[in-house]
Amino acid sequence: MSRNSFLAVLAQRLSFAIFLVGKVLRFLFFLGFLFFLLKGTNTLAGYGINQVIFFFLTFNFIDATAQFFFREVYRFRPLVVSGDLDLVLVKPISGLFRVLLGGADLIDFVTLPPLAFALFYVGRLLNPTTFEVGLFLLLVINGLLIATAFHIFVLSLGIITLEIDHTVMIYRDLTSLGRFPVDIYKQPLRGVLTYLLPVGVMVTLPAKALMGLVTPPGVLASFALSAIVIFLSLRFWNFALTKYTSASS
Amino acid sequence: MRKYLSIFRISFAQEFAYRANFIMWRIRNVMQIFLVFFLWDAVFTDPNRLVFGYDRSKILTYVFSLLLIKSIVLSTRTIDVAGEIARGELTNYLLKPINYFRYWFTRDLSTKLLNLLFAIFETSILVVLLRPPLFLQNDPYILGLFLISLALAVVLYFLILLIFSLFPFWYPEQGWGALFILFIFTEFAGGGLFPLDILPQALQKGLYLTPFPYLLFMPLQIYLGKLGVLGAFKALTVSAAWVGLLTVMLRKLWSLGLKAYRAEGR
Repeated sequence: MSRNSFLAVLAQRLSFAIFLVGKVLRFLFFLGFLFFLLKGTNTLAGYGINQVIFFFLTFNFIDATAQFFFREVYRFRPLVVSGDLDLVLVKPISGLFRVLLGGADLIDFVTLPPLAFALFYVGRLLNPTTFEVGLFLLLVINGLLIATAFHIFVLSLGIITLEIDHTVMIYRDLTSLGRFPVDIYKQPLRGVLTYLLPVGVMVTLPAKALMGLVTPPGVLASFALSAIVIFLSLRFWNFALTKYTSASS
Repeated sequence: MRKYLSIFRISFAQEFAYRANFIMWRIRNVMQIFLVFFLWDAVFTDPNRLVFGYDRSKILTYVFSLLLIKSIVLSTRTIDVAGEIARGELTNYLLKPINYFRYWFTRDLSTKLLNLLFAIFETSILVVLLRPPLFLQNDPYILGLFLISLALAVVLYFLILLIFSLFPFWYPEQGWGALFILFIFTEFAGGGLFPLDILPQALQKGLYLTPFPYLLFMPLQIYLGKLGVLGAFKALTVSAAWVGLLTVMLRKLWSLGLKAYRAEGR
């Protein structure tokens, strides 16, 4: 499925180039903004320039990885509206797997190696220990699990309400609040972003782990949280399937 | 004139046909303001701090005004033009006794009115919740110049968007890609995320030669009184020059585009 998806993108090289340039420009503009902002202010919520850039890079890496894997979610609505989801559900393959991971995005895939290198480069400037690097990697995987749960929720909501486009963009807007450490947000928003909509656990916590700013109970709680949201999202998916009317098919 | 009034009324009513879409769009606007607000709030924790020539009240006024100004300048239905050209639906309009540009400008005005009403409501709630110190401009000359800059920004964005929407005349499947690039430039080079005067002077000077800063940044600079009357006139002159230049460019591209138009799908 991923090979087909890659071939489809490569068949339209101009479109591929335009979107790739757009994504790189957006990244560079934001990075430039952070650089000039921190040059003027020196710190942001107590974090130095390298730390703020590392938060931003961590956000981008998790966001781009999630988009790379879950691009098919953005194409889910027509399947539900037309009733073509029937054709997915009757096949001898998990329907959820097909609509969640059935169309990996080549454009995001191309951006991942440079992002990983930038993370490595800026991360080294923060002088982490091997343990902190290991914890960072584990928490990035944990963040990706939370992103998976978010996308399953969006798909399920799409079956019930037929609304996908804006819901997934609201998810993107929510996670983009993690471009900066959630410490910059005031209560109760900080609490909401940390516990209720775990953007903080998904994006801020991995970066903080590399800086040695997390506690063992906090890390354990974050693993428990991702297990809970994955469980809830799967239950919600099963519930949503019972509401699928197969209309128009 | 009467037919455009009818288009305005119908377009306004159409917005209510897709209420969920509209509400989601507004939620997204509010969330984007949250990011910018809390970022600058963190920078200006000390109320007496002065950074990049802004104090706390002026920068937070910039952020809150963005919500209102974006609803006026960036709310648009013209975004659908690229798709209509790509699908060959433009033919329907070419056969009707209406001016295509006026049709879309009228539709834009109707969605701007609705978005502005919601933005006023949202801003009021956010002001009550977040209690930012706001700067209120009381100089009538500056306010007048601000309104003129806003009107120019509306026309400027309409022209830029239309020019980018003509891309499918030549590349029918690339309409969205061209708009994607435009939106990135509008957000960053327009001052939608941060005021452009935090950038180095050389970069600022280069940006001020493009039309983007005259969409959001310059009107807000005029409102905040950072340009003075003379500086405001200079900004309005550049903005008006861009309107003139882009109008000529749009007409030329439209005429070339119609020659290339193949009405695919019709």
